[in-house]
Amino acid sequence: MHRLLIGAMALVLGSVSAGAQSLDDLNIQIHGYATQGFLYTTNNNILTTSSSNGSPAWTEAVLNVTSQPSPKLRIGVQGRYFLLGNLGNEITLDWAAADYKANDRFGVRFGKVKTPSGLLNEIQDIDPSYMWSLLPQSVYQITSRNSLLAHYGGVVYGTLKLGQNLGKLEYRGFGGEREIGTNDGYLLNQRESGLVLPNGIGGPTYGAALHWRTPLPGFMIGASDTKITRWNSALTDGPYSGSETLYPFQLPNYFARYEKDKVMVAGEFARLPVRGQLTLTGLPATPLALDQRSWYVMASYKLTDKLTAGVYDSQSVDHQAALGVARHSFDWAISGRYDFNQYLYAKAEQHFINGTELDYDTDMNPNGLQTSTRLTILKIGVSF
Amino acid sequence: MKKYLFALLVALGSLALTSHAQVIVIANSGVKATEISKNDLRDVFTGASTSLKDGGHVVPILLKSGTAHEEFLKVYIGKSDETYRAGWRSLVFSGQASMPKNLDGDAAVIEFVAHNAGAIGYIGKAAPHEGVKVLAVRQ
Repeated sequence: MHRLLIGAMALVLGSVSAGAQSLDDLNIQIHGYATQGFLYTTNNNILTTSSSNGSPAWTEAVLNVTSQPSPKLRIGVQGRYFLLGNLGNEITLDWAAADYKANDRFGVRFGKVKTPSGLLNEIQDIDPSYMWSLLPQSVYQITSRNSLLAHYGGVVYGTLKLGQNLGKLEYRGFGGEREIGTNDGYLLNQRESGLVLPNGIGGPTYGAALHWRTPLPGFMIGASDTKITRWNSALTDGPYSGSETLYPFQLPNYFARYEKDKVMVAGEFARLPVRGQLTLTGLPATPLALDQRSWYVMASYKLTDKLTAGVYDSQSVDHQAALGVARHSFDWAISGRYDFNQYLYAKAEQHFINGTELDYDTDMNPNGLQTSTRLTILKIGVSF
Repeated sequence: MKKYLFALLVALGSLALTSHAQVIVIANSGVKATEISKNDLRDVFTGASTSLKDGGHVVPILLKSGTAHEEFLKVYIGKSDETYRAGWRSLVFSGQASMPKNLDGDAAVIEFVAHNAGAIGYIGKAAPHEGVKVLAVRQ
């Protein structure tokens, strides 16, 4: 089925590409991209794929349509086909929003909008825009990407000049409703153990982000904080039914990036402290507790106009987990990207992973997990 | 030896100046500004800003390819074509901006800039450019 969907999407992408310029004359733009990845691991099956045998089950295709009826108003919609192992294999709405930018100091966007938290959240699904095949999983887990990327609601944004020699301050405030879908990676192991949230779990969320573009050209420091209110959802476990509750918590991110000429260096720290409980009728309540503290540092260098190489260290520790290899995930990655032209690119990446806190599920690893894994990723992408 | 080094530095300096001189920034005649700082130019052409210091709304216009395009990116933006377009894709696919118009050559850019309020573009210095104003770029 997914091959048919990919074929149909490729056909649409190809035909609209040919007509892009004439639509441009009408202030309507159509853009898109598609990627195909291949994963191989020396131990364990990762990201719900059968990667230890080599897996091509990583396909994405995106189609984006925007219109600009006036200089200050834009309207757009973006859809995505996503397949990663046993996740996705469906077409979903990335975002659909109207954006009114009064001036550089103030703009507002509403609809289904990208959530501007952290350094990379808004672009974590936009493969053509960065060199990595897989972003640091400690902060940007691909199996939960669709739940964290966007929310229904709005964003206000703008840039304030701070005066001579003080740089600029970019602000974003956001609020609305967010849903962690029933197929999300956070719920994957829970689902595979029989605990099912038939409607996912979600509720109100709001937050803010500040990016200070310092007087040092290319150097930005930022922070964001997201507040999750109390979320409740129906829960089933075989014949039992009940509810899952998440108590209010905050998601802080602190980050910095330096970009100058051929060099990029960035780092980020994030914390995910979740508490809640599972209640099944007739059974005692089970507490939920997670305190994931994650960080990464990354650097890349543009070797030629077409070839970029980079490295990152990504680490995550769940301070609520029992001592052992499932408490942490440490991931060193070396990566390269080659742009054949402005449309076509290829990526290659090698990961050295220690610990099993992230990216593994029970069903694909029925015989248990090895502590360390090497992961090789090859990817090719096209965009227009 | 010092004389040779000095001559080499002068020659390199001349090359750099020549390099800067091969591309000029043009704007619609309705744009009030007569000059623009390199930082403001970079902000406009990377989507970080849609206005100039005087508050006037501006719209960047790109060349699809060619010597003037590559030189503009190298001298004023500091990025290769691939990296530059990747930056715009970040904005487009995250819903933060529309892709600037890409036009086929100097004449097309001049024609568009001349007839569209707020348009700002770049062309090779040698191209005739009646009907548009040239913005001086401050370092």
